[in-house]
Amino acid sequence: MMRKSKKYRIFRAIMLSIYLVAAIVPIYWIVLTSFKVPTDLYAYPIVYFPKVLTFSNYSYLFSFAHFLTYFKNSILISFISSVISTTISILSGYVLARYQFRLKNVIVVLLFFSQMIPAYLLMVPQYSMFSQLNLINSLIGLGILYVNIAAAFSTIMARGFFVRIPRSLEEAAMIDGCSRINALFKITVPLAMPGIAAIFSFSFINDWNELFTAALFLNSDDKYTIPVALYSFISKVGIQWGVLSAGLVVALVPTIIVFAFMQRFIISGLTQGALKE
Amino acid sequence: MVRLLERCVLHVRKGVKSPPFFIFWMIFPVILILSIFTFYPTVNGIILAFENYSVFNFSNIHFIGLKNFTKILSDPLFWTALWNTLWWIVLSVSFQFVLGFGLALLMREPFKGRGIYAGLVFYPWALSGFAIGILWSWLLNAQFGFINDILIKLHIISEGINFLSVPSWAFFSVVLVNIWYGIPFFAIMLLAALQSIPQELYESAEIDGAGIFSKFVHVTIPYVSSTILATLLLRVIWVMNFPDVIYGMTQGGPGGTTNILATYMINIVYYKNNYSLSSAVGVFVITILMIYSVLYLQFTSKHGADEF
Repeated sequence: MMRKSKKYRIFRAIMLSIYLVAAIVPIYWIVLTSFKVPTDLYAYPIVYFPKVLTFSNYSYLFSFAHFLTYFKNSILISFISSVISTTISILSGYVLARYQFRLKNVIVVLLFFSQMIPAYLLMVPQYSMFSQLNLINSLIGLGILYVNIAAAFSTIMARGFFVRIPRSLEEAAMIDGCSRINALFKITVPLAMPGIAAIFSFSFINDWNELFTAALFLNSDDKYTIPVALYSFISKVGIQWGVLSAGLVVALVPTIIVFAFMQRFIISGLTQGALKE
Repeated sequence: MVRLLERCVLHVRKGVKSPPFFIFWMIFPVILILSIFTFYPTVNGIILAFENYSVFNFSNIHFIGLKNFTKILSDPLFWTALWNTLWWIVLSVSFQFVLGFGLALLMREPFKGRGIYAGLVFYPWALSGFAIGILWSWLLNAQFGFINDILIKLHIISEGINFLSVPSWAFFSVVLVNIWYGIPFFAIMLLAALQSIPQELYESAEIDGAGIFSKFVHVTIPYVSSTILATLLLRVIWVMNFPDVIYGMTQGGPGGTTNILATYMINIVYYKNNYSLSSAVGVFVITILMIYSVLYLQFTSKHGADEF
């Protein structure tokens, strides 16, 4: 329905601009704040277009806190956990999409049920379990929990993707003597690559942003991920908006970049994988 | 346990040819991980809710029946949090949905630079809720905040409002930020659904003389209704268990007025260190969500939304 009337186009342009401004102003504001000199920062009337910009907030941030370490921790843990959770969700999602078996419905219901459990109900039992296993303050321990958090929803998404891929290709490969698992990884997985990229990015972003579990399970500075660092940073230095803004920019920019690159995959994956058959 | 699972899963439905061992080993990792790190702790957490486990009481942990539940039910802060949770969900999700749907409708027809535009309006979805909370508390700052400054310049208010320390404003603010944060989610989901509507449906509706409104009600809505119902279901569950934004902005304060059950629970863990008490709140949350999901699925299955 191509409503090409001029009135509609103007209306649309105005509405789209409102959405755009609402989305962008907050992030512009925080980036601006992070580059302001202290006199501009707490000046009234508010300085919208500062004449002087400074990197001092960033240099203070990096001298006070080991942001490079946090950065490394965050990248490492988000990447490895997402690879693992995506891999196991490929396996389970594939079987749920292709085969009928007893308990299948039970498994699907359990996957959904796991989405309802508040993280804080799990954390205390998880904590006592992990302290027996010596996994407190360990990135490996936290990584296991991240795989656990992502596993169910990733499986649901993966299932949605595999349902859409015709099984005839795999069957042909298997007739040619390919094993089931080989057929999956050589034929089906490449076809489902956009969806798999979406699953991966979705869990990567979630892991990157996760705060509460990490704050409980990590307790030494050298293990902190970025959200935990930001959290402890506030409790240590209080609210110093210049430095805090610099910290926010450092925390937010990587996800914005990942999102910019993966946007198309994430969007198609989320919408097709999770919600439609 | 493995044996038991194997026997259960392997009992394949008759008439369908499928390779039992293959199925078992493929699904095993996810079941194993969820059993150990989600379901087993869930059971333990529920048991915990009936005990007296706190930092001040490590040595003598025993069952105390329903005491935690009666204690919570008699706490006025719990009732505030429960009531707030309801409003939090209803207001957040409905406005996220309406504004997100609006954005999706505006974006469905191609225009120049739509890809870049999508990146710019959708990005908040990928950010950390906690960071978003902090960011917005700076924007809402009474003296140096952008929002107050704009409102003053537009002569809507004459002096800065202390958004986060006046109770009624504080709750309004956290909801507003959560709406802002969640619009892209609905827009993304619904835009994809809208774009999958076959053009012929509209054309035949036009032949029947349908106007814009009638096409919207009779073609658009029915076609995307299953996506709407499915996203709403998931969204309500996620938003209920989503303390991040509030924690970044007010931590449930001032005086518990911006608590939802999720932040109320966290505050019990952090400030009272009473893990059994917090688990009791968790049991409430699970119960509410299960009742909600069952009712919702029953209601929607009549409307053809069993899409998962």
